[in-house]
Amino acid sequence: MRTILEHQVNLRVALLDEAWSDPETFVLLPDKGGVTAEWVEAQLSRVPCELHTGHFVMLTSGSTGKPKLIVGSRMRSEGLARTLHQWQDCEPVGQAILTLPLTYTYSFVNQWLWSRVVGRPLVQTAGLSRPEELGATLRQAKDAMLCLVGVQVPLLEQFFAGQAFPGVIRVHFAGGRFPQERLAVVAALFPNASVFNNYGCAEAMPRLTLRRANESPEASNIGRPLPGIELASDKHDALRFRSRFSAVGIVEESSGFTPITDETWTPTGDLGRPTPDGSWQLLGRASEVFKRYGEKISLASLLTTVLANWSGQAAFYREADLRGEEGHVLVLAPAPEDAQVRSLLRALAATHPRTHWPIRVESLDTLPTLSSGKVDSIALRSVPDKRSHWHQRI
Amino acid sequence: MDNRDKLKQLIVDVFVIEPEEFRFDLKRDDIETWDSLGVVSLAVGVQETFGYHFSPEEAVRVQSVQDVMTILEAKGIKF
Repeated sequence: MRTILEHQVNLRVALLDEAWSDPETFVLLPDKGGVTAEWVEAQLSRVPCELHTGHFVMLTSGSTGKPKLIVGSRMRSEGLARTLHQWQDCEPVGQAILTLPLTYTYSFVNQWLWSRVVGRPLVQTAGLSRPEELGATLRQAKDAMLCLVGVQVPLLEQFFAGQAFPGVIRVHFAGGRFPQERLAVVAALFPNASVFNNYGCAEAMPRLTLRRANESPEASNIGRPLPGIELASDKHDALRFRSRFSAVGIVEESSGFTPITDETWTPTGDLGRPTPDGSWQLLGRASEVFKRYGEKISLASLLTTVLANWSGQAAFYREADLRGEEGHVLVLAPAPEDAQVRSLLRALAATHPRTHWPIRVESLDTLPTLSSGKVDSIALRSVPDKRSHWHQRI
Repeated sequence: MDNRDKLKQLIVDVFVIEPEEFRFDLKRDDIETWDSLGVVSLAVGVQETFGYHFSPEEAVRVQSVQDVMTILEAKGIKF
């Protein structure tokens, strides 16, 4: 199988078009995926021969930190790109502007593949790593679509304060919590844009649900499944899906190749519940709901309170306290004033008992992110020199 | 930093009040976050700051900043 690396695509995106036109299955990898070439080769050797043509392979570390290869079908993914286009074709989007790496299934399917399938131009940028260039591109945008992750909003606000980009008419968010509290910022930056909350995962390749921002005031509302996709949850709220657009298989080091068919129910790794109107409410990552001193803690719920009271970036990582009880540490960026920390904790106190408060409040200048733009929760825990602002005493 | 300043800083930190809200005559009812787990936090904070561990009876008896000072003064910690 042909391997294409992120930096090669950044230099010449036509490489992807060539690979897509070639029957041989190709592998698209980030430059820093946390795995060796030998690891990739060993996992690829487990992909069945019948998938060596007409498919593509991407790497995801997911929120679990355990890398896996996702095998996608070109035909199924093109079907999803068409479905997304039909589903959302209420504004005449003329171009897609890339601010995320194409090695992320969200931008790969929603933007690169969409632009290929519907014949619209794709504008490459280095995203927020080169804000001046991105700003220039956004100023020249005409009927453009952006795919962002929520954690980018404070950075967009920081880099482009007071600016507006009227040429952007559609903004999608995925890859973590929807920035419900920052919609005013998004609207100021993109005054003509329809804003959407997308939900999905790499195994879904990658979209499952969609909602317009104004359809719900709740960040946790992920909308309804796209046509051809079903969601279900069990008595523990574990959310799973089946989709005619999903990946056709996963390769994990521990379990080898696992096929996915139209009939396969695949876990998303999240917790969720249906709502009476047919949309779904996300309760957070399965690993982000736990018990502390007998109290059920939902980090997604806590983050909602934090972000309603803090204009910078925020994320949690899990850690046991000195008594061995499971807990969580809040990391803010940039560094807050002491008064801001107290104000945040009072906001938490207004809605949550003290057991829900973080073990510590720490800060960094910026939160570590994956190449997808999502917060790197593994690095967040291990990054040295975090400043400590407050600690819990229970 | 003298003991009064240390106590003020501890109360501000444990109950996440603003420094200007602090008074030495503050009572439990004056502070919303002074709940049962707040008492536990205060006890741990007193041990961290002054090296004295409240007995369970003392922890229950503490209803004001002044009560904290009274207990600590009885242990030779001057304010």
